[in-house]
Amino acid sequence: MKVLLADDDAERAGAVARILAADPGLTVVRLKSGDSLADAVASLAPDVVLVDMARPDRDALDGIRQVAALNTRPVVLFVDEDDPAFMEEAINAGVSSYNAIGMPPPDVKPILRAAVALFRRHQQAHDDLKQAEGRLLERAVIDRAKALLIKQRRMSEPDAYKYLRRTAMSSARRIVDIAQDLIRELEGSGA
Amino acid sequence: MSKPIRVGLLRLVDSAPIIVAEAKGLFRAQGIDVEISIEPSWANIADKLTYGILDAAVMLPPLALAACAGLRGPKARLVVPMSLSQGGNAIVASNAAAASLTEGGAQPRLLLLEWLRSHTERPRFAVVHAFSTHNLLLRYWLASGGADPDRDIETVVIPPEQVVASLAAGSITGFCAGAPWGEVAERQGAGKILLGTSSIWPFHPEKCLCVGEAWAEANPGLLQHLLGAVLRAQILCDQPDEAEGIAALLADPNGLNLPEEACRAALPGGAGAELIRFYTREAWFPARAHAQWFLGQMKRWKWLDEMADLNAIAAQVYRPDLLAAAVEAEGLYAAAGLPELEGAAMLPMPDDEAFSPQLR
Repeated sequence: MKVLLADDDAERAGAVARILAADPGLTVVRLKSGDSLADAVASLAPDVVLVDMARPDRDALDGIRQVAALNTRPVVLFVDEDDPAFMEEAINAGVSSYNAIGMPPPDVKPILRAAVALFRRHQQAHDDLKQAEGRLLERAVIDRAKALLIKQRRMSEPDAYKYLRRTAMSSARRIVDIAQDLIRELEGSGA
Repeated sequence: MSKPIRVGLLRLVDSAPIIVAEAKGLFRAQGIDVEISIEPSWANIADKLTYGILDAAVMLPPLALAACAGLRGPKARLVVPMSLSQGGNAIVASNAAAASLTEGGAQPRLLLLEWLRSHTERPRFAVVHAFSTHNLLLRYWLASGGADPDRDIETVVIPPEQVVASLAAGSITGFCAGAPWGEVAERQGAGKILLGTSSIWPFHPEKCLCVGEAWAEANPGLLQHLLGAVLRAQILCDQPDEAEGIAALLADPNGLNLPEEACRAALPGGAGAELIRFYTREAWFPARAHAQWFLGQMKRWKWLDEMADLNAIAAQVYRPDLLAAAVEAEGLYAAAGLPELEGAAMLPMPDDEAFSPQLR
C-alpha cells in the first residue's frame, strides 16, 4: 500500500514516515516542498494521502474526481462515521487523510491514527516551546520596566519589583501587563 | 457570557461582515463573544463545521450543499441561515489570452470557441475549490459560449492567494477567483479581467454564513444574536462612506493582511470591475431558489446523480426560517414578509441554459 505524505514540517514528516515504514506492507512517499499535491496524487496514484491541515492546497483534493484530469485516481476524505471522537481528535491535531475510492476504512485508520499521535506530540512540543518563549519575553518586559523605574523614579531594584507586584495585585492584573503599561507611559514621556 | 462562538473564515474581502462585526463591537452589543479563526482552506472550514470544532463560518454555498449531499464523504448536517454577499468574483485571463478573447472590443464569450480551437493543448483554468461559486459560474459561462468545460479546458484548484503568481508564471491560462485577486492580477500586470461574475448572473449569491445543524438547534438564542450582529455589519459594509475604514481593517497585518487598495476597489463605491454587495437587494436572504440553482448545476455536470432530490437538499440546508427571529428583533424586516423574498430571488437568464458543445 502506498502512502503519500504532504507535510512541509521536515522533522514531523520524518517521524511519521519512520513510524509508517516499520510496517513492511507500506511504502511511504513524501511530497517535496513546493510540489503540487494534486499533481503528486495524479502521478503517484497513492492509496492513502496524509495531509497537514495547515496546507492551503488541501482544497485541491476536494472534488478532485469532479474537476481533475481524467487519469487521476479518485480519492475521498477518510471519515470514520462510527467514531466521531476520533475524527475530532484528528482535526484538532491538524491532520487529515484521503484514500482511494474503495479502500476499506479499517485499512486506513491505523495509518491515520499513527499520524494523529505524532502530530499531537509535535503540537504539544510546539506549544511548550511557545510558552517558554513567552515566559522569556515576559521576563524581558518586566526587567525593562524595572530598569525604567530605577532610572526615572530613583527606586531600588527590590522596590521597583514590589511596586509592580503591588500594582498588579491591587488591579487584579498580571505583572507583565502592568510592566507593559508602565513602559509605554515612561518611554512615551520621553524622559 | 458563555464560551465564545467559534467562527471560521478565509482571507478574502467577503469575510468583511464578520471582521467588521468584531471590530465595531457589534457582537458585544448583542451580548455574545466570538472567536474568529482564520483558516487556510475551504476543506478545513467544511471539516471543522462538520465535527463541531467551528460553530459557524463564512462558506461557499456550493460547498455547503455538496457536503450535505454527500459529495465529500458521508452527508454532513450543515445549515445556511443567511447569505453574506453577492458578486465580487472575476474571470481573469493572461494578457495574451485576454488580447485574443477581446479582439476588436468583442465580448469574450463570442470569441471563446475560436480561441479554444487555436489551442492544441487544453488551456488551464484555476478555481479556488471544485464546489465553489467560482467554478460553477466559470463552467456556466464557458458552456454558454458553446464550450464543454470537461473537454475543452483543464480545471485545477489553486488557493486564492496563489492564483496571481501562477498566472504570472504561466502555469495557468486564467482563473476565476474572488476579490481582491482579479484586481491584484491587473495591478501586477499578470493578466486582465475578462468579466465580473455579476455579468453572468446579476446579483448572484456569493458567500453564505453556514452553521452546524446541531449547534443551531442547541443554541437558538446565540444564533439569533450572531445573525443580528452580522446583519448590522452587512449594513455597514454596504455603505461607501465606510469602505475606506473597512479596507484598512481587512489590511490589518495582525488580521487578514489583505492588500488595502485592491480591497477598497471591490467594496461599495470602489473603482473595481466587479463590486461586492452585502445587504442591499436582500443580499442577506438565503433563497432556496439559489440553492436549487447551484444543485441543478451540480446535476448538470453529473456530480449529483439523476435521482438526487434537489428540492429536498435545498430545503434541508437553506433555512431562511432561522433568520426570522433576528431580522424581526433588529427591526429590519417583518418575519411574515420573508417567504415573499423567495419569489424575488434572481436567477441567470434561462436562455443561457441552452448547452450544446460545438467543438471538435
